[in-house]
Amino acid sequence: MLDRITKVFIDVLDEEEIILTEETCADDVEEWDSLTHIQLVVGVEKEFKIRFTSSEIQQWKNVGEMIDCIKGK
Amino acid sequence: MVVGSIYQLIFNLQENIYEGFIDLFHDDNPLHVDSNFAKSKGFDDKVMHGNILNGFVSYFIGKSLPIKNVVIHSQEIKFKMPVYLNQVLDFEAEISDYFESVKTYQFKFKFLHEGKIVAKGKIQIGVI
Repeated sequence: MLDRITKVFIDVLDEEEIILTEETCADDVEEWDSLTHIQLVVGVEKEFKIRFTSSEIQQWKNVGEMIDCIKGK
Repeated sequence: MVVGSIYQLIFNLQENIYEGFIDLFHDDNPLHVDSNFAKSKGFDDKVMHGNILNGFVSYFIGKSLPIKNVVIHSQEIKFKMPVYLNQVLDFEAEISDYFESVKTYQFKFKFLHEGKIVAKGKIQIGVI
């Protein structure tokens, strides 16, 4: 699953070199700002064909918590 | 505003829009201002700037949607056919997706002249 999320990040950030771990958070990725976060959420929802709620995404602290949320769908 | 909603507008490529674009952005490339040059390259006449259509998209989002508290996240356009002065374009946009978690809408749009697509594209907007 991490590789699929990485693919979304690469696409949104237009950055081929990005490497994600479950501990990765916005502070670790230079272009991960509020607007990019919206694009990432949209990208993840489309990639996995799921929908999050706004309260769910507000609880994420890192990529690992995003993955846990996806698995819960 | 729901997925599948369709919006339609009519835009006229009037002289004041064409001249205003040149005045503001100084793109006086001969393709846009020299009829003889444009015809020598196979066009019917001087070609209107494609980014004028992006301006029409800006109007659609900023002025004609049912809600005004929006911001454009991204906009892409493909120009399929040249457009010329005083042409009347039919604009049609459809909400293709909505992401409630981030209050984001995606649209697909197209511009047509006499039934033929002259440009098409996508827009993503957020509700603020």
